[in-house]
Amino acid sequence: MEHFLHELWIARWALAQGLVLTVEISVASILCGSIIGLFAGIGLTYGKWPLRLPIRAAVDCIRGIPVLVLILASFYLLTFAGINLTAVESGLLALSIFCGAHMGEIIRGALQSIPVTQIDAGRAIGLTFPRILIYVLIPQAMRQIMPVWVNTGAELVKASTLLSVIGTGELLLRTQEIVGRNFMTLEFYGLCGLLYFLINSVIERLGKFASRRFALQ
Amino acid sequence: MTLLAIRGLTKNFGQVEILKGVDLEVNKGEVVSIIGASGSGKTTLLRCVNLLEDFNGGEIILDRVAIGYTGEGGARRRFGERELARQRAMTGMVFQSFNLFPHLTALGNVMLGLTKVRHMAKREAQQLAMNWLARVGLADRATHLPAQLSGGQQQRVAIARALAMDPKLVLLDEITSALDPELVGEVLNTIKLLAKEGTTMLIVTHEMRFARDVAHRTIFMDGGLIAEQGPSASLFRNPKNARLKEFLKRANL
Amino acid sequence: MTYSFQFRAIEDNFDHFLYGLALGLVLAVAAILVGTLIGLLCAFATMAKARLPSRLVGIYVSAIRNTPLLVIILFVYFALPQLGIRLGKLESFVFSLAIYAGAYLTEVFRAGLAGVPRGVIDAGRAIGLTGFQLALYVISPIMWRNCLPALGTTFISLFKDTSLAAVIAIPELTYQARKLNTETFRVAEAWATASLLYLATCLLIAAGLRQLERRFPKF
Repeated sequence: MEHFLHELWIARWALAQGLVLTVEISVASILCGSIIGLFAGIGLTYGKWPLRLPIRAAVDCIRGIPVLVLILASFYLLTFAGINLTAVESGLLALSIFCGAHMGEIIRGALQSIPVTQIDAGRAIGLTFPRILIYVLIPQAMRQIMPVWVNTGAELVKASTLLSVIGTGELLLRTQEIVGRNFMTLEFYGLCGLLYFLINSVIERLGKFASRRFALQ
Repeated sequence: MTLLAIRGLTKNFGQVEILKGVDLEVNKGEVVSIIGASGSGKTTLLRCVNLLEDFNGGEIILDRVAIGYTGEGGARRRFGERELARQRAMTGMVFQSFNLFPHLTALGNVMLGLTKVRHMAKREAQQLAMNWLARVGLADRATHLPAQLSGGQQQRVAIARALAMDPKLVLLDEITSALDPELVGEVLNTIKLLAKEGTTMLIVTHEMRFARDVAHRTIFMDGGLIAEQGPSASLFRNPKNARLKEFLKRANL
Repeated sequence: MTYSFQFRAIEDNFDHFLYGLALGLVLAVAAILVGTLIGLLCAFATMAKARLPSRLVGIYVSAIRNTPLLVIILFVYFALPQLGIRLGKLESFVFSLAIYAGAYLTEVFRAGLAGVPRGVIDAGRAIGLTGFQLALYVISPIMWRNCLPALGTTFISLFKDTSLAAVIAIPELTYQARKLNTETFRVAEAWATASLLYLATCLLIAAGLRQLERRFPKF
């Protein structure tokens, strides 16, 4: 036990850096992904077919391949095309796209479930469609998807571990580096798992709080 | 002869007393109807008789054997699951919402108890089940799934399912309440036929006219107790209990 | 920058890709079979009268669902040997994925069980079925029908998760693509092929699932 604590003390900065980067990447990608998803969702629900079909195809393709493939493919393709992004940037791009496709589906579902009468009501008081979208439809959709949105955040934290494969210095990679040095696989992989569990538990707690706070009914 | 004897039956749901000491006797071949307002304990009484609910006090004696619990006072102990299942097979129940097994055909529904509980051979069970389906007028629907049957047809399959088990006593819990009005008749006619053949039945119902015409005896329950009981014809014509009078007035009888 | 698509490399190595795809499917099937056993056990355990089984299942489900799959895989493969449990690559991966699947399937089966109408259970009890008979002849058939869609989507998810086997050098599809990529630098072809294969397989499974659901709709 003392040996573990000793090693833990040595490794404290590396782990802390990894933890911080994990959180940063997760937050950044869920924000970017949500914005992408918002536009995708709106396009899928209200767009005419020249807009809807390409988005539909893109979303289905992205969701039909594993996240790891998305991450590796974008990493290698970009490097090969001469666009030299860092591992962090490349990972962020892949995760944002993944999150965007995911959120697009979710927002589409939420928007489609809003009764058409809401749009009628908006028109009846003289609002144009963009205004109806912004002031009537999206707020309702957002409230509805709050718990799913938080859950997507947790999924992204878990997906961020895959970025270790392309060399992004998040928590898992740092753990692997530490283990590579001191061979204490049991203790440090265990600690790593525990840390992710704690992060996601906090997110779960936040989610419950948020859905109660923002629930419509 | 007395087929069913209930003595001092009490039942609580948590703090709420639903049955406050019910005494009832039903003779073989008798049809007894139970009427009363919602919450008077009619359904709970039925569910205690076929042991779907446990009860807190009193005893239920079916065909001279105490069911549900053994012993008295401190030594009172509920029977084990195996024994309870065996005792439940001695009574049959038809439910308000039919509760047919959705994954089995009409024939399958009737056969399940015969093969798994009565341990009949498959061919024998099928024969018996078909006979019962014919008796309720649904022989041609034997291979239909519940989803393909109307409410009235489903309820008749449910009646066949209960009766095929050859129970000593049949419990019917508001079996027409969930049916569209035009389908009620076919179910009531089936029950009338069974009554004529001497099936012992306890019927909880809202259909006052049916209770008066088919049941030998009617019981009025109020607040977890039997407030009045007697031969159906006279009970409906000359109710003595004040609340029964009010109840019948509201039901336009 | 010119880039000429040379699919020759893909043609020569296509059998490797197919092998990887097949391996991925086998891993997914193995994982969902074991995971189903775990899920059923846990789901029925939560129906017990005692509270301890539910608590334990709750801890298991919560722990696994909040932990990244990759961490579980690495832990099982690298950390368990320190406890004396040494598994081969394939066994270790299937074990990890099965435990992961079990946590999600527990919830799927619990929802399926809850979807069995109380009245139908009452009817089964009323004709004298014992608890065990009830579970076998009434509850299970209804539960399986209700769970079918969720089981299907879980399987598709697990199939995509088999890509993580590449991280411990199991030669499934993603590993093959990366290998071809680094060996021949046919970047676009390698990843396009892998992506198309994954996509096609997922679409086929989803279509098959839709057919099954039409044949066996929910009750």
